[in-house]
Amino acid sequence: MNITVIAWRNIWRNKRRTLITTASIFFGVIFAAVMSSMQEGSYSKMIDNVVKFYSGYLQIHQEDYWENKTINNTFVLTDTLLQKVHQSKEIIGISPRLESFALASSDQLTKGAVVIGIDPERENKITNTEKWIVRGRYIHHGDKGVIMGNELAGYLHLDVGDTLVLLGMGYHGVNAAGKYSITGIFKNPLPQFNKSFVYMDLNLAQDLYSAPNRITSLVLMVKDHYHMPPAKKALKSFIRSPYRLMSWDEMEPELVQMIASDRMGGKFMKAILYIVIAFGILGTVIMMFSERKRELGVMVSIGMQKTLLAGILFMETFYIGLLGVTTGILATIPITTWFYHHPIRIAGEAAKAFLDMGIEPVFAFSLMPPVFYNQALTVFILIIIITIYPVVKTFRLDISNALRT
Amino acid sequence: MNIIEIKDLVKIYDSTEIEVTAVNHINLNFEKGEFSAVVGPSGSGKTTFLNLLGGLDRPTAGHIMIDGIDLWSLKSRQITDFRLHNIGFVFQSYNLLPVLTAKENVEFIMHLQGWPKAEREKRARELLKAVGLGDRINSRPNKLSGGQQQRVAVARALASKPKFILADEPTANLDSHSTENLLDIMEKLNREEGITFIFSTHDARVVKKAHRVITLEDGKVLSDEKK
Amino acid sequence: MLIQVSWRNIWRSRTRSLVVLTAITLGIMAGVFSTAFMKGMMDKRVETAIHTELSHIQIHDSLFRKTAELRYYMPGADVLARKIDTLPHVEGVTQRIIVQSMISSAETGAGVKIMGIRPDDEKKVTDIAQQMVEGKYFEGIKRNPVVIGQKLAHKLNVRVRSKVVITLQDMDNNLTAGAFRVAGIYKTSNTAYDESNVFVRYEDLARLTDLPAGACHEIAIRVDNDLNTVSVQQRIKKTTGSLEVMSWKEISPELSYITVVMDQYMYIFILIILLALLFGIINTMLMVILERHKEIGMLLAIGMSRTRIFLMIIIETVLLSLTGGITGIILGTLISKYFEYHYINLSMFGKGLEQLGFSSLVNTSIDPEMVVSVTIMVIFTGIIAAIYPALKAIKYDPAEALRIE
Repeated sequence: MNITVIAWRNIWRNKRRTLITTASIFFGVIFAAVMSSMQEGSYSKMIDNVVKFYSGYLQIHQEDYWENKTINNTFVLTDTLLQKVHQSKEIIGISPRLESFALASSDQLTKGAVVIGIDPERENKITNTEKWIVRGRYIHHGDKGVIMGNELAGYLHLDVGDTLVLLGMGYHGVNAAGKYSITGIFKNPLPQFNKSFVYMDLNLAQDLYSAPNRITSLVLMVKDHYHMPPAKKALKSFIRSPYRLMSWDEMEPELVQMIASDRMGGKFMKAILYIVIAFGILGTVIMMFSERKRELGVMVSIGMQKTLLAGILFMETFYIGLLGVTTGILATIPITTWFYHHPIRIAGEAAKAFLDMGIEPVFAFSLMPPVFYNQALTVFILIIIITIYPVVKTFRLDISNALRT
Repeated sequence: MNIIEIKDLVKIYDSTEIEVTAVNHINLNFEKGEFSAVVGPSGSGKTTFLNLLGGLDRPTAGHIMIDGIDLWSLKSRQITDFRLHNIGFVFQSYNLLPVLTAKENVEFIMHLQGWPKAEREKRARELLKAVGLGDRINSRPNKLSGGQQQRVAVARALASKPKFILADEPTANLDSHSTENLLDIMEKLNREEGITFIFSTHDARVVKKAHRVITLEDGKVLSDEKK
Repeated sequence: MLIQVSWRNIWRSRTRSLVVLTAITLGIMAGVFSTAFMKGMMDKRVETAIHTELSHIQIHDSLFRKTAELRYYMPGADVLARKIDTLPHVEGVTQRIIVQSMISSAETGAGVKIMGIRPDDEKKVTDIAQQMVEGKYFEGIKRNPVVIGQKLAHKLNVRVRSKVVITLQDMDNNLTAGAFRVAGIYKTSNTAYDESNVFVRYEDLARLTDLPAGACHEIAIRVDNDLNTVSVQQRIKKTTGSLEVMSWKEISPELSYITVVMDQYMYIFILIILLALLFGIINTMLMVILERHKEIGMLLAIGMSRTRIFLMIIIETVLLSLTGGITGIILGTLISKYFEYHYINLSMFGKGLEQLGFSSLVNTSIDPEMVVSVTIMVIFTGIIAAIYPALKAIKYDPAEALRIE
């Protein structure tokens, strides 16, 4: 008859009370876990949307480029550099880009646009741009046409087959000007890309900006944002002046902060929820102790060590926590798995509000283990704190007093 | 004049595997102004008998007529109300609400009956004085001795102006001095105000003071002596 | 008297009641504070949007917003503007020429919305003049001054007195450009706005675009109080014929939408907290009636109706919940009141928040309606929690309860 068995049976002496307390933990765990899953899933999606389509997880630039994004801070992609990049096994794809600014115009209208010269095949492997094409087709290596965002095309009243005029400033101040046929139009979930992006073959861009063989950035891809840190670490030692290696979080600090602030808000809410539940458990533990005072007094008088008694009381609280957490997580898994495969799409006014902020209107869910075991961890910590009460009261127990109850 | 007429009362418990006949065809009458004790060993059925009489338990058969009204012909809600207005109770323990003072405990039952505040107060003071606790009216039960608590219970029982008062082992937890005290007060009330008291008791001191002693054995009336 | 009995009964088990009360107080306090926090953030966002970006009412040619073409200007707009200025509740009217174009520095270029304005009029409508971080609002540069946002200034790598070139298409669809000098740099709490809105003088832009005299694309109006917006809008509509007269809510419904959604979101948070508290309260009250088994039996015996007993339990639970709830509301309100006058500094998330248009300095805002709603919710929670224990209590059999062991 060891303490685990005794403790387990003890919690079932008042079945109703134990069940209600367990239910509160169950409820708290489900809520916190589903919320975390939704948060982490949404963050991953936000990061993916920006990173996969635009910044990539890592980029290599000329070292002055990021502070001064001018066409003059370009570099030539050498074999040595490529070799160094492939040193890291985490890198699953690379894509060279020449990115600059131009005035895009049709007959009637003009708008500022971001022109990106790409290696169409390699770029597509990383950003999947081809899948966002809604009219016309994607470009190939050697193509003389361009693809552009649907909102830009709409603004300029242009469609597939029409001519787009681009005017800008090239390398060393030379004027950049060109006329291009529109090969395709794309629509990405994030409107900021659809409003200003024009893609063309890298050679074509280098021609336009009089920057032969030069690129503004080399985009590097890894499996997902959890794999980026080791890749960055591996490459940091090889990539040095005159180059610079940057990771997506350095390139998109706004995104990082947006996520951080939301995460903090979430932590606050979960903290309050768990604190409230913890008080509930404490209440139960207090009741469990006070109604057994006499019994505990008897046990100590017949010779049981107070430490053993405290151990039993700890195990009782622990079991209640364990029950709540286990059932809670088991119930959460089907819920989050369902939503993982069927993310919640937002529509109407709400969707517009999201898009306005540059976020895709969808709630994605994450199945990463921390979402689940963080709840277990939190409850466990609370249990340990709560157990202080019965343990202290056990050691302070005055036997004769207790026996008189 | 009979205020209580008990006709062929029977109570059988069948909750356990064995059928227990706690009250076995009892016929009794009680008159106004009685000071009577129902006695008998444990298992004689006296607690059950008192519960039936007080409308707390339903008889298996038979009738209890109180002032001409068949108690158990009433519906459950009406019985509760009947008890409120017609029967006073003094239990062995747990008589009072611990969060109310003596005065408030007595007022409480009048509040349930719907008395206006001023009258409740007046009567509560009077009754507590009558039981000798005029100076302890603002004390809570935990500040009163066992005997004093029982006296408050009597005052409370009287407050509702009942037809009779049922006292179930009222002296069981008291020492001899308090018992003497309590019985004197109840006797005084019986003599001067004509309040009917029916006790169920083990206590020889109570039996000694009683004017009528009904002895039960195995659910039947063994003897019924008037002194 | 039942209320008196119920209130005193709460304090019979001081420790247990204090545990429940603390839980409720903390939960409600957090709920009230969070709601005030969010409301403060949302209110500020809307205020910024109205006072810096949208103004209360905008007037355009009916086709301008859809096409954004230069030729959809409003002839005789200055006459209309002067008339509107005389209307009651109107604090300021400004006329703007709006052109989508490119602004470039020596380093690079960007696509922006250029607005030709009259600084004296504009100052009465928007508060950009008060948000200058460098230079002055159209003072200090005599020829072709331009005022740009800080984010744009960083992008272009320019400072006050730097030269920039604005390239656009004029009324005859000819590409034309003008040299401007940066007179001032502003910073709002919306970096997306700062990045894409540029201001020049009306005359300078009119000259560049060849717009006829007295015309403009947009009339923006500031009203003294948002409550008067609709009435002013109605009055204006009567005199403007086919022109489009829109309030900020119509232009940006997402804005009022997020305010409403945030409110609902917070109520849901409070509901979840109350749900978590429910378990603890139920457990406590179950314990209470169990302890008072004999007492309740006695009350039933002396003739207290079951309905009254039921009520007594409900009242006790509601009083318990309310005590905690009101304490929580008071504390939450006090904290929020403090932060109504002192900022909460979230500048560590500054970039992220400002990208979405939220200021990183937050003031909380208490809505008296919210306090009432929360109180009602707490009362209902008490009632719901009490039902199960109260039902158990009235099922007590007085004979059985009073039986002596």
